[in-house]
Amino acid sequence: MSGAASGSATTSKAIVGESNNSETAKDQQKPAATLEEDDEFEDFPVEDWPQEDTELPSGNTHLWEESWDDDDTTDDFSTQLKEEVSKVNGSKRG
Amino acid sequence: MDRIIEEFKRAQHDSSGYDLAATLSPIPPLDDGGRLYAFSKSTNNYAVAGDIRDALGRGRNATFSSRAETDAWVDVFVAYWKAVGDILNAEEAQNRRKFIGNEWTTAYDAWKDVVNALIKGHAAGHFPAWTIPCLYTGGRYLRVFAIKADKQTTDTQGKVAFTDGLGDDVVSSANKNEKLEDTARQLMRIFSLFLGDRSPIEDSRKWGIYYIANLLFKTHFKINSINLSKNILRTLHAQSDLPALERFPKAHQTTFKYYAGVIFFLDEDYIKAENYLTDALVLCHKDAKKNRELILTYLIPCHLLTTHTLPTSALLGPYPRLEALFQPLAMCIKRGDLAGYDAALASGEAEFVKRRIYLTLERGRDIALRNLLRKVYLSAGYEPPKEGDPPDAPKVRKSRIALVDFHAAVRLSMGKDGESLDQEEVECLMANMIYKNLMKGYISHDHGKVVLQKGDKAFPGTGV
Repeated sequence: MSGAASGSATTSKAIVGESNNSETAKDQQKPAATLEEDDEFEDFPVEDWPQEDTELPSGNTHLWEESWDDDDTTDDFSTQLKEEVSKVNGSKRG
Repeated sequence: MDRIIEEFKRAQHDSSGYDLAATLSPIPPLDDGGRLYAFSKSTNNYAVAGDIRDALGRGRNATFSSRAETDAWVDVFVAYWKAVGDILNAEEAQNRRKFIGNEWTTAYDAWKDVVNALIKGHAAGHFPAWTIPCLYTGGRYLRVFAIKADKQTTDTQGKVAFTDGLGDDVVSSANKNEKLEDTARQLMRIFSLFLGDRSPIEDSRKWGIYYIANLLFKTHFKINSINLSKNILRTLHAQSDLPALERFPKAHQTTFKYYAGVIFFLDEDYIKAENYLTDALVLCHKDAKKNRELILTYLIPCHLLTTHTLPTSALLGPYPRLEALFQPLAMCIKRGDLAGYDAALASGEAEFVKRRIYLTLERGRDIALRNLLRKVYLSAGYEPPKEGDPPDAPKVRKSRIALVDFHAAVRLSMGKDGESLDQEEVECLMANMIYKNLMKGYISHDHGKVVLQKGDKAFPGTGV
């Protein structure tokens, strides 16, 4: 599937609505769904372990962050976006 | 033979279930690579039952409380001796790459006899509950040998079909997992046996229930029968007299939480999936990197949909494979880059589909869109101060934004696909965002405006 085709497919699905697109995507997923051997959850070498053996040295903090980034307004895409919006505004006023 | 039986008797004396199970392993211990071979050569088909009975009876006489218990263990070891011969034979054929018949199927059937002898001993009440690790070993390798047997069958059938050109696809694919499906049935027998144990809980086979449930999950996933796993989950949930999961070994807990999490994930119950997978990650041994990686493979898409959060680089750092899978998507989500998101999704498609996370990630596109719309809102700036406002009055963000602004942003963000996008489609996308509660406000089609909720509530959970 090419990038362009999947892009337009997802857009139209989003418009059609949730329930339908989950059906089709599920169907598409089925044929290739068998996991290979190396994707299996492995047996642990021991049956039990103390609490401290579950903790990584880095601790369990800072694992997740927010999905938006207010500081990141200098990347190319954000700059382009600002230009585009101001262009539209300019032509509207002009 | 003596060495295995001596260790067996010592484990019996110590009442150590895991040591006992080690004597019934089809894999020789690291420090004694020739053990199985020596055991196999130590007797023959005619003498094996007598030899094992003699060896068990020698030395400590009071090993077993009853004649029936001795008989039951003799049955187990006779079956084990036969299975070891068939397994060595199959391994040898495989190493030489010269299979004559169905060596692994023979080995599977022989190992199944070991499992049957163990089930029989437990069902008849001859074996005490502490010996259940023998059934762990039995069930675990039954699955291993089934996979090998099915592979050998598929490989040879493939060759036959190729040479005579009359291969029947329907038949061969139906038999592709014949032995593994049989394994699932045998494991179900053990599951029922453990679950139905009415002994007092201190001395109950119920302590083995999660180990067997986990083996069943693994087997069902492999044969793509996840509905059977759901039945297991339901059965365990309905069983009120099971000890709390926290009282089981952490290996059982972690594996169970992982599979339950993935089952809920595939059912699109992302809240429950997130709870189970988070527990699994917290419980998992820190050195079990592969397992942590698998847990995160499902936990990351869960987080994206439930809390709209992304993994930090600190979390992804130790797992280059996960970083390669998720980092491009995460970048595009943050930027609100829809074309980039679609491209990243398409380029990882094979891998995402294989791991059954494609559908979930596809829904994550909404978060990229939300961030894009949010950027338009932020870049619209503030209302000019009203006359008469005190100079220190808080600034208020513009809440009425022209649809053309959003249209321009979505078009740009979608790149090539956006060129033909008209404004009605963008309105529709935004209506969807409002419906999904990712954005608050309403669309005034007639005025060509979007009116967003004031007071930093336009995009819930994002501070504005």
